[in-house]
Amino acid sequence: MRQSQTAVLERNTTLTGEFATEPYEAAWAGEARWFVQVLERSAEDAELTLTTQISPDGITWCDHDGGTHRTEGELTTWAVREFGQWLRVRGDVAPAGAQVKVRIYLAVKS
Amino acid sequence: MSEARSAPPAEAAFRSALLSVDPRLSKFQPLPRILAFDAFDSGTHGWTELLGNYDGRGNLDTVDDHMRDFRPPQLSSCTFFDIGTHGAMTGTYALKLATRPITGHTATAIRRLTMSGRGLLQIEAYFTYKAEATLGGGPESDRFGDVVWDGNLHPSEAQFGAFTVATDLCGDGGLRYHTVARYLNTDLDNRLARQWVYPTVPEPTPREHLEGKVKLGYAADFTAPNPEDWEPFGEPQELCYNEVPTKVNWHYLRWQIDTEARRNMELQVNDRVFDMSDVPVPPYAERYDSLENLLNFYFSVRTHSATRNFLFLDSVVISVDW
Repeated sequence: MRQSQTAVLERNTTLTGEFATEPYEAAWAGEARWFVQVLERSAEDAELTLTTQISPDGITWCDHDGGTHRTEGELTTWAVREFGQWLRVRGDVAPAGAQVKVRIYLAVKS
Repeated sequence: MSEARSAPPAEAAFRSALLSVDPRLSKFQPLPRILAFDAFDSGTHGWTELLGNYDGRGNLDTVDDHMRDFRPPQLSSCTFFDIGTHGAMTGTYALKLATRPITGHTATAIRRLTMSGRGLLQIEAYFTYKAEATLGGGPESDRFGDVVWDGNLHPSEAQFGAFTVATDLCGDGGLRYHTVARYLNTDLDNRLARQWVYPTVPEPTPREHLEGKVKLGYAADFTAPNPEDWEPFGEPQELCYNEVPTKVNWHYLRWQIDTEARRNMELQVNDRVFDMSDVPVPPYAERYDSLENLLNFYFSVRTHSATRNFLFLDSVVISVDW
């Protein structure tokens, strides 16, 4: 049977401007999937974009080659493979001053 | 008294022989009935994030501020910037609790069981603790708290706050209590304390908040928020931090309580055994519903600096004599 784990990395967190989630170790997992659930937007044009980041040490980060994802509707998801050891997601809320409240799930599987 | 407690000598000797030749269990000293054997090289074994309670609509905004961000445990290969993968004591993976880099922030892992009897209850673990490595900075990075890097002592050690092992127990008509042991590595001013402490008050609960009795802020100490409500037990104990934040040396912990008498018994950490029988166990004044025979253990780690703190668990055994 395969191993699996879901972590809630942000829980009803209100984001503004640039942010990054806490480092999460998942070297044991072969695949990962982000779920970003938008709970509230401060305005209709409040836009949240997200990019997976990876790291060799949990301290220094670079973008994964999966591109940037723009949230649409309540739930946005994308898969990540060949990520090595650590995962996090960085993001940006635009325009300046806009707020987006989210839950961010990371689902990993061996 | 259970059958297990009164096992005849021959049976006890046979059991001891079986345990001693089992490489997984011979490093533990379990009581007669093993409820949980958690080697984290094979998963999280039910050790999960603790979260405060929420309303009937699933609105997580109603979770208490100080109990809404205890961070999910991770399966860590103990990998560091300098040497790569350290690995666990057994296999590759350990359970890692990691705080945010926010002074006072706490990470937890909780294990939820119930009691099918009363009597001795014991948790054993192999653990280690670290502050996150610092990369870069100027000469100021060579000192922190009361530690100056001298080629032996490293400022990282003063950036580690405290770790805690504790229970949440309830039964006998809703009588709820916690037993708690905390290793205070540094005080709140980041000076090395290396002292075991216990709280003199019960942990504030979500019901007490809803009743208007208590309101704690983010990063408050959820176990006992007032530093004056913690008392030392035993003499200070120096553990093996091993100089820098990237060397992992596993420590043995064995903690025993008595759920029949609702009291602490003893704590063993490596070669030191602390008699905890006089450490008080303050119960809640009011009774609790919905928690009959509650048997929870949690580990937590709290940073006293703006540095992530980690508690690593290689393996845990929970055993009873009932």
